[in-house]
Amino acid sequence: MTGTDQSSFLGRISIRRNQVNAMEGYHEQEIEDLELFQRQLSDRFTELLSAPDDAPTEAFLSISWIRKLLDVFLCCETECKAILLMERDAAQISKPPLDRLIPELLERVVKAMDICNAVTNGVELVRHCQKLAEIAVSALEQKPFGEGQARRAKKALVSLMSAMHVDDKESSVQKTAERSWSFGRRSGNKDRHHGHYRSLSWQVAKHWSASKQIHAMTMNLAAPRGPEASCLPAPVYILSLIIVFVMWVLIAAIPCQERSGLTTHLPINKHVNWTHSLAGIHDKIGEEWKKKEKKGMAGLLYEMQKMEKLGQSLIEFTDSYQFPGEKEKSDEVAAQVAELAEVCRRMDEGLVPLQMLIREAFHRLVRNRTEFLDVLEQGAPVV
Amino acid sequence: MDECQSAIPAHDGDLHVVAAAHHIVKALGTTKNLSDDLRKILIDLDAHLSLITSNIDSKGGKGFVEVEERLKRVERKIVIWESDRIMIWDSGPKEASDYLEAVDEVQTLIDSLRGLSMNENQKQKELLHRASSLLQMAMSRLEEELIHMLVKHKQQSEPTYIPSPSSQRNVVYNESVVSLDNESVKEALSKNSCTDECGEYIVDLVPEHVIPDIKSIAKVMFASDYGQEFCEAFIGVRKEALEQHFDILENGKLSIEDLLKMEWCSLSTEMNKWTWSMKIIVGVYLMSEKRLCDQVLGKFGSVNSFCFLEIAKTTILCLLNFGEAIAMGPQEPEKLLRLLDMYETLADLVIDIDALFSEDGGSFVRLEFHKLLEGLADSVKAAFNAFGVAVSSNGSLYPFPGGGVHPLSKYVMNYISMFPEYCSTLNLLLEDQHSDVASLVSEPQCGPTASLSTSCPMACHLRSITSSLESNLHKKSKLHKDEALQHIFLMNNLHYMVQKVKGSELRPFFGDEWIRKHNAKFQQHEMNYERVTWSSVVLLLKDDNPGSSSLSKSAFKEKCKGFSVAFEEVYKNQTSWCIPDPQLREDLRISTSLKVVHAYRTFLGRNPAHVDDKCIKHTVEDVEKLLLDLFEGSPRSLRNSRRMMKT
Repeated sequence: MTGTDQSSFLGRISIRRNQVNAMEGYHEQEIEDLELFQRQLSDRFTELLSAPDDAPTEAFLSISWIRKLLDVFLCCETECKAILLMERDAAQISKPPLDRLIPELLERVVKAMDICNAVTNGVELVRHCQKLAEIAVSALEQKPFGEGQARRAKKALVSLMSAMHVDDKESSVQKTAERSWSFGRRSGNKDRHHGHYRSLSWQVAKHWSASKQIHAMTMNLAAPRGPEASCLPAPVYILSLIIVFVMWVLIAAIPCQERSGLTTHLPINKHVNWTHSLAGIHDKIGEEWKKKEKKGMAGLLYEMQKMEKLGQSLIEFTDSYQFPGEKEKSDEVAAQVAELAEVCRRMDEGLVPLQMLIREAFHRLVRNRTEFLDVLEQGAPVV
Repeated sequence: MDECQSAIPAHDGDLHVVAAAHHIVKALGTTKNLSDDLRKILIDLDAHLSLITSNIDSKGGKGFVEVEERLKRVERKIVIWESDRIMIWDSGPKEASDYLEAVDEVQTLIDSLRGLSMNENQKQKELLHRASSLLQMAMSRLEEELIHMLVKHKQQSEPTYIPSPSSQRNVVYNESVVSLDNESVKEALSKNSCTDECGEYIVDLVPEHVIPDIKSIAKVMFASDYGQEFCEAFIGVRKEALEQHFDILENGKLSIEDLLKMEWCSLSTEMNKWTWSMKIIVGVYLMSEKRLCDQVLGKFGSVNSFCFLEIAKTTILCLLNFGEAIAMGPQEPEKLLRLLDMYETLADLVIDIDALFSEDGGSFVRLEFHKLLEGLADSVKAAFNAFGVAVSSNGSLYPFPGGGVHPLSKYVMNYISMFPEYCSTLNLLLEDQHSDVASLVSEPQCGPTASLSTSCPMACHLRSITSSLESNLHKKSKLHKDEALQHIFLMNNLHYMVQKVKGSELRPFFGDEWIRKHNAKFQQHEMNYERVTWSSVVLLLKDDNPGSSSLSKSAFKEKCKGFSVAFEEVYKNQTSWCIPDPQLREDLRISTSLKVVHAYRTFLGRNPAHVDDKCIKHTVEDVEKLLLDLFEGSPRSLRNSRRMMKT
């Protein structure tokens, strides 16, 4: 959705609210706003769902796809907040059931902030993988190619694999020795292993668990029924659901501390039109997750998966390589190297902006919370 | 492999030219005062020329004899270490420099072999392959040596010079406006003034003597195109070291959720730790880390700032996230000083941060830092306003016993006496709200003729807070039913305020005019007290008929009785009242004495005939003594004291 679409949507709500305060049919217009909003949501998620599974760019769960998802999130957040707060009397959002729903929403917002921070850290790990892959690529691209380069590439790829397969349950610093680069004959000397392992959990509290956060965020998250479905509880539910959903996708895609049981069912109400695509994305990622979870992995990020596959195959190549190498094999390898180089390039282009975008989402959540608190404070009875 | 036309000279004439050139190069190489660079060029050229020679010598591909010999020599030097468990740099400088020399030689050979175009010469290919493998072996080894070196020496640079945060950190002010009752407030309030001297304290994260070794490894690894490996290893170790330093500073890894739910007491401790850590991490460690990067990687352009950013990023982000969590929390008044500490810490570090992250890649950190600084500025303002609101809205249901100094007065005066330490910050942050407050506080000091210190935004805010306090105290005084006690209460509290202002850094911000005015105010309450309490008592002793010389016995008796009943009543009441300040208490007793004892003595003196024990319950001396019991805060019954005096 373009900026103009959004500003016209916001303008529409603003005009409404200004005009209708005392008019008849206020409620009907609100319903109309809400429906329009839901239609737009549906369109956006349908577009996300329709991303190809495997494509050089814009693949499902690729960096650029996640950036799109975050863009959608930022748009929805703005619009949802407009529906909820714009020109709204504080008394309206502090009466039941909103007096319960809004604080619950704000708790989810706080949890989402922590997830954003954890995921930002996870992106660092992805960047580390990128650097290792780049070393492998530059070794494999060397001409003339020989055993030296093969060993160099292998060393980088092995580190890459171990960095990718960090067990997110026990990524504390003490564990680094066993997982870090193997130094072969000198591996008895543990001191040497420092520094090759980037700890994932460093920024987060020890017992913090991404999947538990998600689980906690889904508590009491239920689609409003009956008459509530068409008034204020509806946008609160939508905003909550989208926050939980987006955080869930981020955790699934990007390395993060403690993600076991992430397939926890998100309470997506499939009977509402706008959630069809959302549910579709949820199912698709859930399936992927189930397939991969047991193997231990860095996340479902398209580029990482690609990197893993290519890395594995290139390790096999470097293992069996003997100078001067077979001609046919080298063509096949060259293609893989080119592909890996392309993945690195996309990471190089996309990861930093992705990190910025996650940070923007973080700041948006902070602001979101403040705005709600401000309105609630105005509505609070004066003591 | 590239199939190129052979550029190797084939004629005898060429051979002579090559031989001559080779000769000259060798001769030049023996010159003593050559720069290192020039010598390297000559060595390279030497190798290259000998290759050409050997190539020409060996048309059949069996040549490269000299090259192969050299390769074998360095191969031995490099491979020998592969079976050794001892690290090269631990073995000695000679071993290290020999190894580096060998690596240089391999690189030279590779360059030379590459410099020759590839024809179908199998031998040449094979040699190049062998040399490349050897180089890989050496690079892998150098990487290990580097990591070993960095890890080994990082342990030795523990920050022994930094006083532990717990000894430095002052007692935390943990009370809120509602719960305060002691005198220890003042010491507990002291500013978290953690060593200013730690500001620009750059330390050797790696001992000075190791730097040249690290640099020499960097040099060969970058020269051999293994710069990426060097960076990854360097970043890995340094990043972990920084994170360990951060852990040593006792920063709990707290989620935003935890922080928002935290009790004020623990939160205050965390805020203090953060302030401390921020100073140490940025002022000491990041500055030192930057220097280390400059020393090691200064020659390698953008690699330098890239590595620094990678090392520093997660740690600084972690610190910033804590700040964000604090900035978004509710800004209660008790947070004000800690928030000011945090704000000032960041404000002091802005220049460092801008310098450390001046490159494009670091702009993200710079931006986040400035964003947080703004956020904390807003938090300080919010907490300041909340403080003002708390001062004026603090309510009580019951009168304060004894009419002494109310805890609110103590809290407020002690709290604001910390503000002058934050003067410039508060002036900056309160600037925009200044005009509103200045007009509210209609003290003459705020006028155009006022001195700088009394007219600054902080001064006006301070006076606005004390005037809120005054009006709150007036409200509280009304809870006392006894009008005299109302005056004692106000006198005590106003006197306390004036004393606090006079005896602290607050004085210049309030100015002499304020002090004069408030002296007059409490003195007025003192006078009012005397009037309300004693005027009616003294009136009882008044001569009804100024004409006659003395009273009749019965009239005298009547007056005596009336006086002692009234006096006893006052005594019973006011011994339980309290004037905590000894000087003030003394002053009030003296002036009371002057008034009451004087009137009593005059009264008795005028009627000498009737003076006997039976009708005079209290002698002048008794009254004088009894007055000393007032305002001690311990209720006394006069019956007891009289009996005591009689025995």
